[in-house]
Amino acid sequence: MKARNRELFALIPASLLLAGGFAAVFIQSKSKISSLSLSYGAIFLGLCLAGHIVVRLTVPDADPYMFPLVAVLASIGLVMIYRINTDLALQQAQWFVIGLILFAATLVFLRDYRKLERYRYTIAAVSLGLLLLPRVPGIGQQVNGAYLGVRLPGGVVFQPTEFAKIGIVIFLASYLRDTRQVLVQGGHKILGLNIPRLKHLGPLLLIWGAAMFMLIFIRDLGSSLMFFGGFLAVLYVATGKVSYPFVGLLLFSLGAWFLGTHVGHVHDRVDAWLNPFDPVLYNRTGGSYQLAQSLFAQGDGGVLGKGLGEGMITTPSGGALVPAPQTDLIYAVIVDDLGLTGACGVIACYLLFVARGFKAATMARDSFSTLLAAGLTSVFALQVFVIVGGVTKVIPLTGVTLPFISYGGSSMVANFVLLALLLLVSDRARRPA
Amino acid sequence: MLEPVSLALQLGFLAVLFLFLAWVAASALRDVSRTGAPTAASDPDATGFHAAVDSIALPTAGGDARLVVVSAPGHEKGWTYEIGPGATLGRGEVEIQLDDPLVSNRHARIVREGSTLVIEDLGSTNGTWLNDATLGGPSPLHAGDRIRLGDSEFRFEP
Repeated sequence: MKARNRELFALIPASLLLAGGFAAVFIQSKSKISSLSLSYGAIFLGLCLAGHIVVRLTVPDADPYMFPLVAVLASIGLVMIYRINTDLALQQAQWFVIGLILFAATLVFLRDYRKLERYRYTIAAVSLGLLLLPRVPGIGQQVNGAYLGVRLPGGVVFQPTEFAKIGIVIFLASYLRDTRQVLVQGGHKILGLNIPRLKHLGPLLLIWGAAMFMLIFIRDLGSSLMFFGGFLAVLYVATGKVSYPFVGLLLFSLGAWFLGTHVGHVHDRVDAWLNPFDPVLYNRTGGSYQLAQSLFAQGDGGVLGKGLGEGMITTPSGGALVPAPQTDLIYAVIVDDLGLTGACGVIACYLLFVARGFKAATMARDSFSTLLAAGLTSVFALQVFVIVGGVTKVIPLTGVTLPFISYGGSSMVANFVLLALLLLVSDRARRPA
Repeated sequence: MLEPVSLALQLGFLAVLFLFLAWVAASALRDVSRTGAPTAASDPDATGFHAAVDSIALPTAGGDARLVVVSAPGHEKGWTYEIGPGATLGRGEVEIQLDDPLVSNRHARIVREGSTLVIEDLGSTNGTWLNDATLGGPSPLHAGDRIRLGDSEFRFEP
């Protein structure tokens, strides 16, 4: 089967999942079988077909699996959000359409994505500005102690980190493309590790400083881990030296440990993570309530889950049992409804997507493309790790979105742009000479 | 009454999800294990689009002529470039892209002439070397020939 036809074929299971999922939720909530779910499936298939046609016309040689994987994730997301709140699902569907439009626009207008290199300092400045935006008094918004959102007129909350992550990776890829020679040469050997000279550690220290700065001022461990991890990944791909990520992780751990023990907000999070079932922490505002409920919900799911729409996320009287189910804790709701099996399926989707992203990076013929694809894929993978790890009590819980699944316009749109960039890199890499 | 339907839908949902994942994983594995063996995949199919996956030449076990990186900025030693029917080397929009400031945008070209491959300089600023001699006109390539452009050096392997 030709690559693009494979992509077309793979959109069918995505639409089936959406139709089947909606049918199951209808049965659960309204106790009737409705043909409406089939229309939803058809509409979704139509939207994906539109996206597929744009892919066919603009990047005919691109990886055929990434777009269908995203479609499957988005369909799971739409079903889960519908099951949590019907109105939000409608909005999310609109964001999905807007995301597809931006996806198409990126593919059409950024055919030669390497011209992004020319604007790297502008892109870096804009991204840093975006990161600081939530701290601007008046428009910034604090959620659970972290400054992540910006309230726009009309009540829309905009999450600048989602877009900043793409901009920062573009900057790092083009910056390291030029400077990596310097980073590779020279250095002392200590304990078999090649430690670079201090002046070459400059940029590393600078970004480390920025990550710590974010930790203090944005107060968000998740985002700073995402950015710093993405940076180390690009640095490692650029230089091929294990010492950079090694030293970087050491510095990050030191900083995180210091902040974890000395900054109140971060300290609370760590406490809640270590002892989620402690009654004092459980009842405290901003305590371990979220995490504990998330763990209960996941335990409730079992191996095959309670069934779509049947996991208990609200009390019989209507109170919320799982807090923030459509955003931060959506993964817990998926595990509740679809069990360990469904959760493994979702994680496998992400893993395959990441594998395709790294494949595009290894196949790319110029280093900017390699670094860009590797960086975008790493940031994406880290974002999934940060939220899934947080919800499952592997790392302290912080609020980042589960890409393509969580409710949220910024996340949906930004990740569609990320997908478009990966497809552009992949298309150039796979194009027959 | 609806419970069996509900259960069937749930299991069906999981089944479709996993069948899809197995299919993607299997296709991806096939993609990886396919080594070389030039296919006729570069023929345009009925829609006029090229079969991207099938025609991607992963570094072949043998057969096609290629350039092996001896040293080049931004490349690991031993990295290989398939030459295929011919390739241009340079810093710009060419088949073999080099991150070398001393290399011109379109620096040199390798073309197939019958059964041999011939290298020629495309009027580059800093010249092309073939085995320590500046390249004047087009020259045929032999196994083990060293090609140097700027700070980048390659070994030719037929």
